[in-house]
Amino acid sequence: MIGAFTAIVTTAIGPAAFAGVAWGILGGALPGISPSIAMALLLPFTYGMDPTIAIVLLASTYVGAEYGGSIPAILIRTPGTNAAAATVVDGYAMKEQGKAGEALGISLYSGVLGGMVGLVVLVLLTEPLSRVALAFTPAAYFALGVLGLSVIASVSGASLTKGLMAALLGLMIATVGTDPVSGVNRFTFGSPELLSGIPPILVMVGLFAVGELLAQAGEPGWQQAASGAARIRFPGSAMRKRIARPQAIGSVMGVFEGVMPGAGGTISAFLAYNEARRWSSHKKEFGHGSPEGIAAPEAANNTVACTALVPLLSLGIPGSNSSAILLGGFLIHGLIPGPTLFVNHPDIVNGLYTGLLAANLSLLVLGFVFMIPCLWLVNRPKPYLMAFVYAFVLSGVYAIEGSLFHVGVAIGFGPVGYAMRYFTVPFLPMVLGVVLGFMVESNYRRALVLASGDHMTFLQDSISAGLLGLAFVFVAGSAVRHGVDAIRRRRLARAAV
Amino acid sequence: MHRDLALGGTMLALSAGYYWMAAAIPTSQLADAVGPQGLPRVYALLLGVVSLALIVTALRKRTQMPTTPGASDARPTDSAGSRPPVIRPTSPLWRVAGMLAIGVVYILVAPWLGYLFSIAAVILATVYYQGGALGRQAGAVALSGGIVLWLLFVVLMRVAQPPGWWPPLP
Repeated sequence: MIGAFTAIVTTAIGPAAFAGVAWGILGGALPGISPSIAMALLLPFTYGMDPTIAIVLLASTYVGAEYGGSIPAILIRTPGTNAAAATVVDGYAMKEQGKAGEALGISLYSGVLGGMVGLVVLVLLTEPLSRVALAFTPAAYFALGVLGLSVIASVSGASLTKGLMAALLGLMIATVGTDPVSGVNRFTFGSPELLSGIPPILVMVGLFAVGELLAQAGEPGWQQAASGAARIRFPGSAMRKRIARPQAIGSVMGVFEGVMPGAGGTISAFLAYNEARRWSSHKKEFGHGSPEGIAAPEAANNTVACTALVPLLSLGIPGSNSSAILLGGFLIHGLIPGPTLFVNHPDIVNGLYTGLLAANLSLLVLGFVFMIPCLWLVNRPKPYLMAFVYAFVLSGVYAIEGSLFHVGVAIGFGPVGYAMRYFTVPFLPMVLGVVLGFMVESNYRRALVLASGDHMTFLQDSISAGLLGLAFVFVAGSAVRHGVDAIRRRRLARAAV
Repeated sequence: MHRDLALGGTMLALSAGYYWMAAAIPTSQLADAVGPQGLPRVYALLLGVVSLALIVTALRKRTQMPTTPGASDARPTDSAGSRPPVIRPTSPLWRVAGMLAIGVVYILVAPWLGYLFSIAAVILATVYYQGGALGRQAGAVALSGGIVLWLLFVVLMRVAQPPGWWPPLP
């Protein structure tokens, strides 16, 4: 540990981590610039760098971007990254209550803590955990997707029916594009832009950001956030105690999901949110500005920023777009991730670990620095704030693939979000459906092809059976809770009459 | 309750339309047992069932609901805790349509006018549309905002934005 700190101070690892995190926060905070895009933009600049510094720069960008996504999620109800979607609900609710500074403080504190947990896991458990990832079959990936979808009941709010409706709409949106098995085009209406499907970020930006702009446009009365919101507040000791459990839950979920290629921060954030709510003694606050509702998903997706490197380093498998870009960084410098990396280039691996430690420490400093102008910006007069949010949304969405068609799709989801608010249909189940739909369908069908159409394959595969069992427990628990709530509401209504 | 009925009816129609489109997906020689139509059909059927459930629940509630004056004004909160917007006779919907129109005009104009001027125009139009005064301050904010965003995306992050008909800068 002393050696690591010495390396941070005396080598270029520290400045590289600092720069990477700053760039990552900036990229993550801009809707449309995903962590992988922020990393890809840096990739050409790493050609002439020392390999260790180049890898640290890219990995630190990933760490910064995962945190940066929560800033617009809390302040303008727009998740900067897919993984920040679960933070929107309680983060924005806290901002509406004039607690933006507190929400950002919780997000930063939980993110740094999650990152540190992820780093420890990465260092200690890379080799044993990689065996879990290797054992994943298409059936297990399908079950993992179902497990992610099983939290729908928990994020449906008062009406499970409307939550299911939203989730099905999300799953339907995920079917747009080329069929994953046969290659047939579905619901593309002859448009080449739709062949690769509708990116989830377009749906999220449309529902949350454009929908919010439309809702604000429809309501002339504007309540500017209280002046107290302009100050950043780190959680005090009572709050730290309260959010310790959701942070632990988030970190466990982050470890679990991070080591599995393809799972990613989004599923872990939603699962963490669901479990934090289940184990909370303040369940009613969830969805209305719960600090725990921010702490759990933020700890989870920042843990994933480190644990997602486990399959990459140990097996050479990039589990996400971001780790694929990092793999590119390795290959540029003639390094091949996998078991041989630890033998042939231990200096690179140790340098990466040191860099990630520096990145998480830098996150604490830079997160604080970035928040001050962000808080100032969201407290500007309504017409100017809305104008800049709109400009950011239009610019960010175009940046994804340089397509004005995509800008149109995101704007098109704005009225959908507006209508969903009007009909009180929750957003999060739809987001889950869009994010997980492709994973569920493609792995379901691949598993059946491998098993010659035998559905028992999902129960014969031990990991799949375990995950499906867990999903069943989640759904049953939520259904029972919804039933009990409905009975309670009916009794209260009768008593009122 | 009227909203739930309207939502249920709309979703039922959507599920029927989606099912019809799913059934029209061509089959492929490479298709598996489930096929490209398989899950879309299941989703459509499930959405139909859920929509019917919502309609039935809404109708049951309507028959059970006491006719208390003002009871229909109660607006529940969504999962995010925010209240749904109240749709007044005309003006809010027009304002919403106007905001959408600004985005649509941006899509149409940006390929010709280029990013910097188009995004500055979006800022200016939105400020004016949201009740800000059109004057030197708004113009300066829009232009400087356009320049800052251009510097941020195009120069600093090297993310392409619509170039327009202008000659490229060195």
